[in-house]
Amino acid sequence: MSLAARIPQTLKQVRPVLSTDHAEAKRRVLNLYKIWLRQIPYIRVDYIKNNWSEIRLRDVIKENFMRNKDITDLRVIDLLVVRGQMDFVETAEIWRQQHNAATLDSRKDTYKKKPAGFLERFYEGH
Amino acid sequence: MSSVQLKRLLVALNRVKQHGYIPKCKQSTAAAAQPKKEPEKIEVFVDGKPIHVEPNTTVLQACAVAGVEIPRYCYHERLSIAGNCRMCLVEIEKTPKPVASCAMPVMKGMRILTDSPLTKRAREGVMEFLLVNHPLDCPICDQGGECDLQDQSMAFGNDRSRFTDNEFSGKRCVEDKNIGPLVKTSMNRCIHCTRCVRFGSEVAGVSDLGTTGRGSDMIIGTYVERLFMSELSGNVIDLCPVGALTSKPYAFTARPWETRKTESVDVMDALGSNIVINTRGGDVLRVIPRTNEEVNEEWISDKTRFAYDGLKLQRLTAPMLKNRDGYLVPCDWEDALSVVAERIGRLGNGSKMAALAGRFCDAEGLIALKDLMNQLGCETVCVEERFPNVGASIDLRSNYLFNGTIAGIEQADLVVLIGTNPRYEAPVLNARIRKAFIHNDLQVAVIGPKIDLTYSYEHLGDNTNILSDLASGKHAFSKALNGAKRPLVILGSAMFERPDAASLYASAAQLSEKLRDVSSKEDKEWRVFNVLHRNASQVAALDLGYKPDVKSIIDLKPSLLYLFGADEGLIKREDLPKDCYIIYQGHHGDRGAKIADAILPGAAYTEKHGIYANTEGRAQQTHVATTPPGKAREDWKIIRALAEVCGASLRYNDIDEIRERIEQVAPNLTRLDSIEQANYFKQNIELLKQHQSSFHNQPLTPPINNLKDFYMTDSISRASLTMAKCVKAVDQQLKSQHRN
Repeated sequence: MSLAARIPQTLKQVRPVLSTDHAEAKRRVLNLYKIWLRQIPYIRVDYIKNNWSEIRLRDVIKENFMRNKDITDLRVIDLLVVRGQMDFVETAEIWRQQHNAATLDSRKDTYKKKPAGFLERFYEGH
Repeated sequence: MSSVQLKRLLVALNRVKQHGYIPKCKQSTAAAAQPKKEPEKIEVFVDGKPIHVEPNTTVLQACAVAGVEIPRYCYHERLSIAGNCRMCLVEIEKTPKPVASCAMPVMKGMRILTDSPLTKRAREGVMEFLLVNHPLDCPICDQGGECDLQDQSMAFGNDRSRFTDNEFSGKRCVEDKNIGPLVKTSMNRCIHCTRCVRFGSEVAGVSDLGTTGRGSDMIIGTYVERLFMSELSGNVIDLCPVGALTSKPYAFTARPWETRKTESVDVMDALGSNIVINTRGGDVLRVIPRTNEEVNEEWISDKTRFAYDGLKLQRLTAPMLKNRDGYLVPCDWEDALSVVAERIGRLGNGSKMAALAGRFCDAEGLIALKDLMNQLGCETVCVEERFPNVGASIDLRSNYLFNGTIAGIEQADLVVLIGTNPRYEAPVLNARIRKAFIHNDLQVAVIGPKIDLTYSYEHLGDNTNILSDLASGKHAFSKALNGAKRPLVILGSAMFERPDAASLYASAAQLSEKLRDVSSKEDKEWRVFNVLHRNASQVAALDLGYKPDVKSIIDLKPSLLYLFGADEGLIKREDLPKDCYIIYQGHHGDRGAKIADAILPGAAYTEKHGIYANTEGRAQQTHVATTPPGKAREDWKIIRALAEVCGASLRYNDIDEIRERIEQVAPNLTRLDSIEQANYFKQNIELLKQHQSSFHNQPLTPPINNLKDFYMTDSISRASLTMAKCVKAVDQQLKSQHRN
């Protein structure tokens, strides 16, 4: 195959997952953001053991969204939105347990990190 | 088109112009006639499929070429053909009866039917006869799951039995033999394939096993109760297609489908035999060979196979420090490393430090230790086995390698063994020499004591003068030596322990170089000079620049000594200054740990990824089969951690990075499973000319000359119960009235 014949193939438009342009994707993200914010009073009640304040919970949601702020690929954004919706449903329907919801909050994430230095890892046995 | 091609074309065109055609070039016709005429291939048909094979192949091999596996019991490609099990019967068109394919040579146009009704009926019949006298004890048989009889009765046997014991006479009963602590016999299960007998007489060269009686009354055994006295005896366990010969230490421990298999490399000798380690739940259950034509074919020695139980005994499982009363007490890694680092720091610089590496050290640990010691300013980093400091010594790899390669023995026509007993220093290599002796009429000459090497040889004596006589051509054997087309000189590493090692080495190298001049007419690439090492770590250590000189440590009078798996007991507490602090890093509480002030527990070869170079210089790696016990860690990690506590910086954090570092120092060690070319024989000989030979009058005797001493030679096998039982069994055998 000649080079000229190959170029259009590689540059071919990939099929969109949902959104066709960035404006549409942005709208989807903002919609998701809004339904999360509207859920805040219910999350506080449903997951009462996490002892979240309204302000903190707003920060937590923002933090989770901002984690992916650098993603530009439309298809990835769409899939993340879908995943966010699924997370939302799980949270709203109280399918999650208290400690599982806590993982949304970086301050409440108490998972012990593996040591990074060689010596610390050596003492731990890795 | 290149200029050369263009030129040729122009020449040809000119010729066409002159002659009207391209005349045949005289040179090219001569060249075409030169190559030997290859024997014409024969066409045979396997199930109608035409294939071409060499004239003297058997029907069974021809079928294998066609991709058809013929069931067999007695046939084994590394043993002679017996043709007594009849399982490989196939139908050949225009023959009245089915023929045993393992013993039948192919003939032109033969039409072999491997799937015809007659063939199937023949196999069913044979299976039925075998099973008439085979006990139905598969549930309690150790071979279950890897039994040829089981598999083939499923694949080729009848699905119903006609066996009814109307007379209640029972099946054939044969007494079990006691042939030693390694091989368990259950002779009722024997199907008389005689593989074990043929292995004993052909490969191992020990004709202890034999047959008595005929037909179904045949009995395999030793005739009188005695030990199967071979260092390769465990291989009959793998060869036995049924459960008649099984492993005694492995008896009733596991089924093959329960075990996890890890491909690895053996470190008990310097051959680097390829092995598979079977483990279950962190326990090494058994070690079996892995085929590698270049190294061990499919044999391994008994020490390789059975010393694994030593890996569970006498292990160092926690770091230890000496307390005020002089007892070693277990402690944490933090404590051990800080105390050791403090001791190293107290010295100020490394000039009064020394390190000694033992026989099981992997290349990763060796490079880490050398880097650490050199950074601290210590240059006395030694390896246990010596090497003479003469000529280029260890600067040229060809000086200390088995240059001819193990597989090269099969091409050789003459081998001179100097001060080595390959039978006990490298049993699998000895089997290779015996193979060449049987099949290629290899001539062997021995300078050393008269020992049983399982093949006959010319005994030149055990005097040092013989070497110089051979080199000068005065010796009676010189004529045969100079007539050899592909000779090999194998120098045992035990000879380097002698005071006159330099002279011995020089004269052996000079002799080899002289022979190489003669042999280079036949084969320019042929390498004559070989060193047969005994320690698995030796070649890698020399590649990485370790000093092969233990004495330099004693001369240094060090204040701190780092023993890295050094268990030979070459340095005693008395040899060192009183205040010398000894650190031992290793996996067994053996001679090294006994004199230590601090112990850092390391991993054995089954517990780490490690590179080992065998005596040929072939780098191979072990894989992790189990985790190190207790607080023990991989060796290079211990040294890396200690370096950090000491304040030295070793810039590698994982296995890939340390291998990059190895590549910087000795790139050949990271090119796994290949042999890097090593040359410069001539240059070394030039350097050796300055050496003045002076010999001592001791006879050239290798240290291990009988089977009893073969079993327990290192920290792992010294801890092994099985090996201790072997020593005892040999002892008893030598006292018994049925000894040879």
